[in-house]
Amino acid sequence: MPLDPAIRNVLVIGSGPVVIGQAAEFDYAGSQACLSLRDEGINVVLLNSNPATIQSDHRIADRVYIEPMTVATIEAIIRKEKIDSLLPTMGGQTALNLCLRLHDEGILEKYGVRVIGTQVDGIRLAEDRILFSNFVRSLGEPIADSTEIRKEDLWKDEMARFAPGVMRTSFSLGGSGGRLFNSYQEMMHLAEDFFQEVPNGRVEVEKSLRGLKELEYEMIRDSQGNCICVCNMENIDPMGVHTGESIVVTPSQTLSDMEYHRLRSSAIRIVSGLGIVGACNIQFALDQESGRYYVVEVNPRTSRSSALASKASGYPIARIASKLAVGYSLLELKNPVTGDTYAAYEPSLDYVTVKIPRWPFDKFVGDRKTGVQMKSVGEVMGIGRTFEEAFMKAIASLDTYESARFRLHFPANSVESLIREPSDLRIYAVLEALFLGIEPDYISRLSGFEPYFVNKLQNIVSALSGIRTGEIPENLVDLKRLGLPDSLISRFASIDEIALVKHRIEAGIMPVYKAVDTCSGEFRARTPYLYSTYEQDDETPEESQKKAILVIGSGPNRIAQGLEFDYGAVKAVTTLREIGYRTIMLNSNPETVSTDFDVSDMLYFEPVTLEHVSNVIARERVWKVLVQLSGQTGQNLAAHIAKLFGESIILGTPADSIEAVEDRTMFSDSLQRLGILQPPFAYARNSMELEEKIARIGFPVIMRASNVIGGRSMDIIYDLDTARTRFAEIIMERPGKDILISGYLENAVEVDVDFISSGSEVTIIGMLAHIEEAGTHSGDATMVFSSESLAGKTIDDLTRICSTLSREFSLLGISNLQAAVKGGSVYVIELNARASRTVPFLSKATGVDWVDYAVRKMLGGQATASRKPIKSVFLKYPIFPFRRFPGAEPLLGPEMKSTGEAMVPGRTYREAVRKLMDLMGIGEVHSILITVRDQDKPKALEIASLLSDRGMKIYSTPGTARYLAENGIQCRVVYRMEDMRSPRIDEILRDRAVDVVVNTPTATSGSMRDGYQVRQLCIRLGVPLITNITLASVLLDPSIHATEAETREISEYQ
Amino acid sequence: MERRLILADGTVVSGNAFGSSKPARGELVFTTSMTGYMETLSDPSYRGQMVIFTSPTIANYSPDNSKLQSRGLHASALITRDAHTTLPIGGDWAKFNRLLDENGIPGIDGVDTRFLVRRIREHGVMPAVIADGDLEPEPFMDSMKENLVGQVSTREPEEYRGAGKHQYLLVDLGVKKSIIENLLRTGSVTVVPYDYDIESVAGRYDSVIFSNGPGDPDHKALHPLRKAINRLAGNIPMIGICLGIQVIALSLGGKTVKMKYGHRGSNHAVTDGRKIMITSHNHGYAVDRDSIHGTGLEVLEWDINDGTVEKIRSVSDGILAVQYHPEGMPGPDDAREFFTEVSRMSGAN
Repeated sequence: MPLDPAIRNVLVIGSGPVVIGQAAEFDYAGSQACLSLRDEGINVVLLNSNPATIQSDHRIADRVYIEPMTVATIEAIIRKEKIDSLLPTMGGQTALNLCLRLHDEGILEKYGVRVIGTQVDGIRLAEDRILFSNFVRSLGEPIADSTEIRKEDLWKDEMARFAPGVMRTSFSLGGSGGRLFNSYQEMMHLAEDFFQEVPNGRVEVEKSLRGLKELEYEMIRDSQGNCICVCNMENIDPMGVHTGESIVVTPSQTLSDMEYHRLRSSAIRIVSGLGIVGACNIQFALDQESGRYYVVEVNPRTSRSSALASKASGYPIARIASKLAVGYSLLELKNPVTGDTYAAYEPSLDYVTVKIPRWPFDKFVGDRKTGVQMKSVGEVMGIGRTFEEAFMKAIASLDTYESARFRLHFPANSVESLIREPSDLRIYAVLEALFLGIEPDYISRLSGFEPYFVNKLQNIVSALSGIRTGEIPENLVDLKRLGLPDSLISRFASIDEIALVKHRIEAGIMPVYKAVDTCSGEFRARTPYLYSTYEQDDETPEESQKKAILVIGSGPNRIAQGLEFDYGAVKAVTTLREIGYRTIMLNSNPETVSTDFDVSDMLYFEPVTLEHVSNVIARERVWKVLVQLSGQTGQNLAAHIAKLFGESIILGTPADSIEAVEDRTMFSDSLQRLGILQPPFAYARNSMELEEKIARIGFPVIMRASNVIGGRSMDIIYDLDTARTRFAEIIMERPGKDILISGYLENAVEVDVDFISSGSEVTIIGMLAHIEEAGTHSGDATMVFSSESLAGKTIDDLTRICSTLSREFSLLGISNLQAAVKGGSVYVIELNARASRTVPFLSKATGVDWVDYAVRKMLGGQATASRKPIKSVFLKYPIFPFRRFPGAEPLLGPEMKSTGEAMVPGRTYREAVRKLMDLMGIGEVHSILITVRDQDKPKALEIASLLSDRGMKIYSTPGTARYLAENGIQCRVVYRMEDMRSPRIDEILRDRAVDVVVNTPTATSGSMRDGYQVRQLCIRLGVPLITNITLASVLLDPSIHATEAETREISEYQ
Repeated sequence: MERRLILADGTVVSGNAFGSSKPARGELVFTTSMTGYMETLSDPSYRGQMVIFTSPTIANYSPDNSKLQSRGLHASALITRDAHTTLPIGGDWAKFNRLLDENGIPGIDGVDTRFLVRRIREHGVMPAVIADGDLEPEPFMDSMKENLVGQVSTREPEEYRGAGKHQYLLVDLGVKKSIIENLLRTGSVTVVPYDYDIESVAGRYDSVIFSNGPGDPDHKALHPLRKAINRLAGNIPMIGICLGIQVIALSLGGKTVKMKYGHRGSNHAVTDGRKIMITSHNHGYAVDRDSIHGTGLEVLEWDINDGTVEKIRSVSDGILAVQYHPEGMPGPDDAREFFTEVSRMSGAN
């Protein structure tokens, strides 16, 4: 079946802001889908509220809507764009859920919009746990015993048979609703908690398959019923750990042929039964002892796993799935990797890939256990010819405290208990146990890891243990061949990493590069998608005459360094390709668009480390390296690259300038010299100096070390005890460095300025004003971009400061300035000599491709940016993962905690705020709970009086209530949770008597705790919570609700 | 110990020795199957061939004897990137090593197998030899000139009783156990040597099956069998699998060709023009599509990529044959339906 001519205007729904369980992989899938449909001459309309995505760009989609992702928005788009077809399988769970709602509310039918690809019935069958169980059983396929229970079922005797088990609600995203229980009692507790919150709800309980081997199959099926398996994946962590939280190997390593194909055949039967057209992921649990398997779950769409499978196998799943959705069959499509062979083909891999999740436990201190709920925010993939090599590349890519050290140095008993319980540390505990000489078989039994993998890890440990300190290992060649990274060899040998890299390259110990070609070399591949290994034969294509520019990717998505940086890297490559350079991309993140082999001339899928960057520079005779678009990762590498290959290799702001800016102490000195205001500051190198230095500045203060991503380890500190503790921690992490102590400007307005320096002149990309007062991390702040948010003088001052700094530090390319405005004066807080995360936001808001402009300027070329006056208002609203981290304090401070952001545009400020309220789930407010700290009470009074005038019900805790009453506002008193009196806060929250909660934290720890419980409860119950009084006064302006919000194509705002 | 693999074009690669230390020679081929190393090594079709596993790690799961496709291992050598460090030393590794040793099969790992694959892809399959240390390698020899079928075919007829009523006569050209197992679901199987006088016994059976096997289908050792097939055509349903399809085509006047580097793997899509199936392949020769005009044979399925003949039939002569391996092992189950067709062709059960 060729292309269906009835498909003309397709709406593709993206996945919205990055949240845990739904991140960059859907930008990759969605971008591929849009391009794939456009190839066919189809008009592609995209909806995604996430401005950091590459897909929300007119190069990718014909029409782009960056609007709140609601049914109402989609209905408006359907009408406006005369949509005839909807592709809902490229935007994760968000898009699927929207599709089901559009269907259920009759909107698809009303406008005659048809769903292309997998149909609604199939989606529902796969998504509804109970329907799915019945469906699987009807096919004669095995599935774990499960049932759906209501509150009244709970006491039935038969419930006992489900323990140990998992309890979940349907339509979970990244397993957010899943909870494990070990006994009937535990199950009852969980269920009671749930029914207390959702009394009329239903939960599903399922007998646990914990401990069995977990496998995934990535399937593709066309409308003719042809079905292929793109690849399978084996989770090293046995069942009980969400696959997004598991270390995953592709292809499976420990399945026999019979096991492999038995599961494959089962997958085909299920995919066919569901009527999948496109991509589908199936998870199995396998008991190798008995030979029994169980179907665990199906994702009837592209998923995180399909992004991983695409990068692991080379097979572009989303691209092919989109073609199948518009009518093609697998017989009619070519495999884009080889160009000659057909898409109807199952990739054969002659290498191994290992994926390791990247968890945010550096930001969310607390429970590090992993399980059926997803907590990781990103992932890395290593490709190697052996498991050891692939695993070590993944470790090297992680860029965490533990991965850099590799050894935990814990005693045997704590190592053993870490091995028993899944957590982010388990893999290091397994390694540590091997270092301690504990038997691999025993470790395998404790962890549930296959002996095969433990033995492979033993090979790594043995080799590392053999390294002597103080010298370059004699068997360096063997160590490299095994796959050990230079960073670890140098750490174990106690030698300088740069010296080792230099020695290795000079000694000619260099890797060869092999292609990821879907076919194990059987056919000639056209795509230059390479990985390194220490073997004989190199497949790097012949050097071209063009000058080569290496663009460094930003590695795994993490909090404060996500999708926004991939945007920059991809945009830069696009421009460099257009100019005519040979573009080389190096990255280790399988979720990204940058690791799509179509993006660059050459893709090196490698850890973003000095070792691999240096190898590629040497192999490709790279002319320039672009580091300023890849976040802090690139910044931290710049100096080392310059040391090895000379200053001139860095494109844009030179390495020594980056250092001068990153070094807080040097930077503060420079500001002083230049006469630029900054908050009072001092340095301390040891704890003795600390007290005296703080006394000079006065509390509150912020303490910072240099070169940190996303304000890691920054806190506002109000007292000396906390200051001492934090100081000790920072010194531990960055020994020998001066720690900068700076005063925290209370009640100032913070501004983010992105600007481009071209040597002689500075171009302002945009200035974003924070709605919250200074102190909230710029990644976490709600911001506004409009022509009216800053005073003219402030704009002039900031512009002048940018010019001064640009000259002072020889900035070239994009930089970001963070400043605080207080009493009409501008204080500089921070300068980043790199593109910040707001660049894509501002590019979308202004309609200018600023990365393109900057890249051309960096190369000394001519470029003009046709910037128009700002006609609209754009809000940047951060999204937080607090639900995932029970116990984590949902308060904002100088440490970044958000995972993603939405852009909310409006013709007016009021319209934008109106949309933001929709997005936050704040509908018409009838009742509100206000409980605020003393300094916020005057503002709270303003809000309360406005609301009270409109007859809204106001609840307050006694303190706030008293203040309001004294000022003539009557409200209902609610008591703290531990109070005996009624109504208590938890009661009114559970009764849904409150539409929104305003709770601001006090600085002292005592009442912090009360507020903490309120905030926790709001997070759990999903009650909209505002923790900043300024933001509250914006959002709760009662007149805003009357404002009409309109849905517009992004260019209509420009 | 260092072990060398020397190709006829002069390429030498070395790696670590395991398995038997006997010198070996054969045609160097590669398989892209990612699983099934035991099935592959014990497939008689690999007789006379040194097998490169493109999947970099081998022996990563237990070398379970129940997976063997015949009574011994047949590949003449095993070449891989990584075998040494995978199975736990002592247990399964010792067992696998012993199995290789008993069957006289040398192994090399630590080899850049992808380099060899690319070489074969460009230059075609070629003879190679294996030598340990400084030992003088044996001369190259084209193993396809040997009577490989004679080496692997059963010496005496064997009877297997199955579930259904069909009586299958299977001519063993190097049959895989799993083919017999699939036939046993619908009947009993008499396995006879390749040079057996099938004409005299054919009348007692519902159909004759010509199995997979090694080597050149045009080898003179198979000429008597071709004559018998020619005479039997139209009198009894005949079924071919792999080498079987080639011998049938030759018997009816068709031709076969040697492929540059064959199809060996579990991921080959075959099509009838409407649908596709993913099938397991292991063949270095193929039926020449143009040559079967006028033989009464028609092509039903072909390889989606290079058009290789994958399934033929002759309605008038009651012939049905496939180039792929419907039994998988290693490989997918997509084509298992073929055995139902075989049963159906063999009359009511």
